Amino acid sequence: MAAVPLSRASDGRQGGRATEPSKGTGGTAGVPSRARDRRHGGGAESSEGQTAWQERRAERGNGTAASRSHEGEQHHGRTEPQGGGGPAAAPSRASRHWGRAGVPGPTARGGRWGLPLKEEVFPYPEISNEELAEINEFVGPVEKFFNEEVDSKKIDQDAKIPPETLQGLKDLGLFGMQIPEEYGGLGLSNTMYARLGEITSLDGSIAVTLAAHQAIGLKGILIAGTEEQKAKYLPRLASGEHIAAFCLTEPGSGSDAASIQTRATLSEDGKHFLLNGSKVWISNGGLASIFTVFARTEVVDKDGQVKDKITAFIVERDFGGVTHGKPEDKLGIRGSNTCEVHFENTKVPIENVIGEVGGGFKVAMNILNSGRFSMGSASAGMIKKLIELTSEYACTRKQFNKKLSQFGLIQEKFCLMAVKAYVMESMAYLTAGMMDRPGFPDCSVEAAMVKVFSSEGAWACVSEALQILGGLGYMKDYPYERYLRDTRILLIFEGTNEILRMYIALTGMQHAGKILTEKIKAIKKGNMGVALGEFLTRLQDTLGRKVDLGLIGDRGVVHPSLQESAKKLEENVYYFGSTVRGLLSRFGKTIVEEQLVLKRVADVVINLYAMTAAISRASRSISIGLRNHDHEVLLTNIFCTEAYFKNNYAMAQLEKYADENLDDSIKKAAKQILEKRAYICSHPLDKTF
Amino acid sequence: MRLSWVRALPRGLWGSPGVPELCRSLCQRPARAPTERGDTAGTPKPRGPQRRHPTEGDTARGDTPRGDGDTARGDTPRGDGDTARGAASAWHRHFQEIRDKERGPEPRDHRRGHLGGDTSWGGTSRGDTFRDDTFKGDTSSSPPPHHRSHQHHDDSHQQDPRDGDPSEPGSPRRGPAAFEAALRAMERWPPGRGGRLALVEAALAAMEALGVERSVAAYNALLRLLPRGPWVPRGPVQRLLFPFPRQQECGLQLLEQMERYGVIPDAETRFLLLGVFGPRSRPLRKVQRMMFWLPRFRHLDPHPLPPQPTRPGLAAARLGLHRMAGDPGATVTVIQPPVPDTGDDEGSVQPYIVSSQSPEQRELLAQHDPARAVFVEGPFPLWLRGTLLKYFVLRGDPLPPHLRDPPPDPERSFYFPLELQLELERGPWDDEEFDVDEVEEGPVFALCVPGAGDRRTLARWISALQEQNPILGRAPVVFRLNEGGADPREGPQTPRLGTGTPPGAGLEPPEEGERGGEPRKNNGE
Repeated sequence: MAAVPLSRASDGRQGGRATEPSKGTGGTAGVPSRARDRRHGGGAESSEGQTAWQERRAERGNGTAASRSHEGEQHHGRTEPQGGGGPAAAPSRASRHWGRAGVPGPTARGGRWGLPLKEEVFPYPEISNEELAEINEFVGPVEKFFNEEVDSKKIDQDAKIPPETLQGLKDLGLFGMQIPEEYGGLGLSNTMYARLGEITSLDGSIAVTLAAHQAIGLKGILIAGTEEQKAKYLPRLASGEHIAAFCLTEPGSGSDAASIQTRATLSEDGKHFLLNGSKVWISNGGLASIFTVFARTEVVDKDGQVKDKITAFIVERDFGGVTHGKPEDKLGIRGSNTCEVHFENTKVPIENVIGEVGGGFKVAMNILNSGRFSMGSASAGMIKKLIELTSEYACTRKQFNKKLSQFGLIQEKFCLMAVKAYVMESMAYLTAGMMDRPGFPDCSVEAAMVKVFSSEGAWACVSEALQILGGLGYMKDYPYERYLRDTRILLIFEGTNEILRMYIALTGMQHAGKILTEKIKAIKKGNMGVALGEFLTRLQDTLGRKVDLGLIGDRGVVHPSLQESAKKLEENVYYFGSTVRGLLSRFGKTIVEEQLVLKRVADVVINLYAMTAAISRASRSISIGLRNHDHEVLLTNIFCTEAYFKNNYAMAQLEKYADENLDDSIKKAAKQILEKRAYICSHPLDKTF
Repeated sequence: MRLSWVRALPRGLWGSPGVPELCRSLCQRPARAPTERGDTAGTPKPRGPQRRHPTEGDTARGDTPRGDGDTARGDTPRGDGDTARGAASAWHRHFQEIRDKERGPEPRDHRRGHLGGDTSWGGTSRGDTFRDDTFKGDTSSSPPPHHRSHQHHDDSHQQDPRDGDPSEPGSPRRGPAAFEAALRAMERWPPGRGGRLALVEAALAAMEALGVERSVAAYNALLRLLPRGPWVPRGPVQRLLFPFPRQQECGLQLLEQMERYGVIPDAETRFLLLGVFGPRSRPLRKVQRMMFWLPRFRHLDPHPLPPQPTRPGLAAARLGLHRMAGDPGATVTVIQPPVPDTGDDEGSVQPYIVSSQSPEQRELLAQHDPARAVFVEGPFPLWLRGTLLKYFVLRGDPLPPHLRDPPPDPERSFYFPLELQLELERGPWDDEEFDVDEVEEGPVFALCVPGAGDRRTLARWISALQEQNPILGRAPVVFRLNEGGADPREGPQTPRLGTGTPPGAGLEPPEEGERGGEPRKNNGE
């Protein structure tokens, strides 16, 4: 029996119903006591440093912290004997991700990875009253400015943000939202930044201009810049005197670092780099005076070989040799400035290297990963606005003596918009809240999930809104078609959703794979406890078991009104664990190539995270008695039920082989098309005789 | 055996008017006729060697009065009596003269109309009934062997279509106009008698030479030469007894030739056959089957060639390279035209060089280690229907394993990991590989079809490639030419069956050199 999990079984079937040995049911036979102890320890740790309310809830959930669990944590607890010896950042990110996606759980890991204690998704993160007051102070004037002074239609038509609008934004400090106060910025936390993003997103062009400036343009200086660089550049960037742009994409290079052609060569005196090359589709490229540029440099690596590596530079327009093309004419976000930027023998002083020479790849990755989370709140803000506009219409327009709002098909669309907005809001603020916890936790996977979910949700919602409006939505006299055009870019920029799905799925797979290998190693070493535990859980699984990860019940963290949703979440999480295991045993390393599989994995993970966020938020709302919390519960239950079925479907597909779940056929059809580079079917009117 | 006693039977038994025909057809069956055309040996005719039957004319003549009536009834759109021309009569001759006179200024009759020679053979004038399928859809067929044996099957032919070297490329005598002229010439013989079967067979044999072998209109024109009515069996019993075998064989032969060339019969073919052989006759059954199957087979070939055989030369070289280099991005360039446009030797002849290289190949070549040699190999044969091309490849050795899959760069993808670090090994029982003997082949960097396979020409190709692939200047280029050995034509010829045989199911292209007057290939000079 022990041999079975040792290898990627060729028939992969055992992966199908293979289960986690670690069951949340605290006293289950087969869960070694060591794991239980550790979990208890984790639960105890987790209650530290929380607000009073959280403490109250944590107390309630303390015991459950032990019992609720997810594969990741539990495996660690069991199979990882060497305490804090794990590698630092990457695995922790992965494990946190699976912990989150799989609901509660990261607590147990806190000390073990040598990282600061992590909070959980339960309870939903909160900000203090002072912070709330502070953010409300900002929100008022910004909202007023956007409602009164921003003429989105004109911006869209002229493909330009008028200077006075830009000046207004600068005056409001919106160009330095996340820059610390000592550099003249607003110093907003991620949560507050997300809150403001809700409002700035009312105009897509402005939102993109601001995001290109501070979410990616100057993020490099903020994250990896030296003190001097920060002192030199940030104040003027914060005031909006300088606008920043992020120059990564090249004609031949999107997400592939190896094809970056821009080159920086060290001058003979060793004080300058000469930058040559061109970048395309640079947001703010025409406005910016500070560029974060990525270029190849020659680096001597450890074994003395000269290698090309990516380096990040801060380039001022005044360095000379920086030119830009004319602004691109785009489908949406037309007011934002996007153009080519060319560098020709631009002299960049060596002090302007961000991070170290040859370390640009990490800088780029960090910038890209950190910039995404705000898209959730931004999309939610836009959808909320759309709901207002369209419901107004639906409640006034009459057809057949009935208001539009009385038709079921219209009601369905409003429900969909509300659910999506609610969930993406929950995800966005949950992620922002986690990022605001001390210790710079790495939430890039969560941020990616937020981005994927919210961009797709936004596109669907805007499309439905247009549908409600009928022909009206199609007319340029109304703002709706502009929303539609603006929303389309969300699926594309900051990493296309396809790429982010790969990121989400593979990061998770990497982590799950580690756990699996560790367990296999333990069994190989002759640890009969592990082997026995494995056997027992499998046996239990075949007999059919009730999944209880401890979200609900007497010591649960979820409000009883959400019991059903939480149960569904638990069930999904549990079986997702076994599905992933089956996939790993079937594909092993080659799962990297199985993009159709990974896409489904990513979809499930995103749904799980979304369910978690929604349940957590709704739970909190009921518990503290927020207004209309019953509506939140309703939305949460709707979403969770739908997502549950979607997950089940995806997991059922994942357990099948490629010939059964259509993957083979899909690939074959695509291959035939791509071979001819055309649609190859004969015309329906064609004849042979 | 005398069968005249049959006449004594009550007529009603045989379906009255058919009895004489039945008798005749029964009488015709034994091979009484001298086999004038024994040279068609090898033709797998179920009924023995083809022959021109002396009674054939009699048949026609005997039926002429009634045949005319049938023709009238036979709803022929051309009312000019073409169909009855099987009858050798004074009337026929008279008509012929009239027609020849009238033919001068303008095309008068329908056949003239659509045979009237221009390039748009088949169906311009009568687009409704003629569908010009023939130039598109016959990709899977391969050309038949040459009908040499037919060429002089009847010495009394006054004008053989080949006599004037009609197959000379570019000859005005090739094509629909020439076919029509030949048909007319053949019609004239023998002026006073039928002999239609021999005429049709001769025309069938000549079709390829005239370049109309893929035109359904040409076949229809041939069918129109056959008389309507006299060969239609009367009554079911006659139909049972293989009536008019000789005539039906002729129809079948025509259909077989159509099939061989992938010509799909159209409604008119069927209609004509119906008029000639009657319903449920063997030719009609065949044409029905062909009309069922051929359209279904028409697009079987995923890589269709143009229907017309290409002649060796620049166009064929381009075509061959396009076929071999499947990459749509591959560029086919003429490195050296056969006749230089400018320079001292303007107007002289030099071997052409056509080369193909895709961007991917260029990239591969750029990554080639210049310390290791690249090889020019060839010539390899490439058949395009009946045309043999020789091509050469520029290739490298297979990469040593350590260079084949460079370790993935962890700092490559900005967004997602390109590989996982897992230590999930396969157990020995997880061997999912098939036992396949794989031949390792090195990368092919470029392809070329030169007009001559000598080293000088190939060196010119390499030097031309060097413009875009500077690495060729540094890497040693080794010529591995198997001179003369690769020409399959010089090996022993596969014995071919005679004319009636479908040519080896297209597996093997027909020999080139047999075609009269056609240069085999203009390389090697």
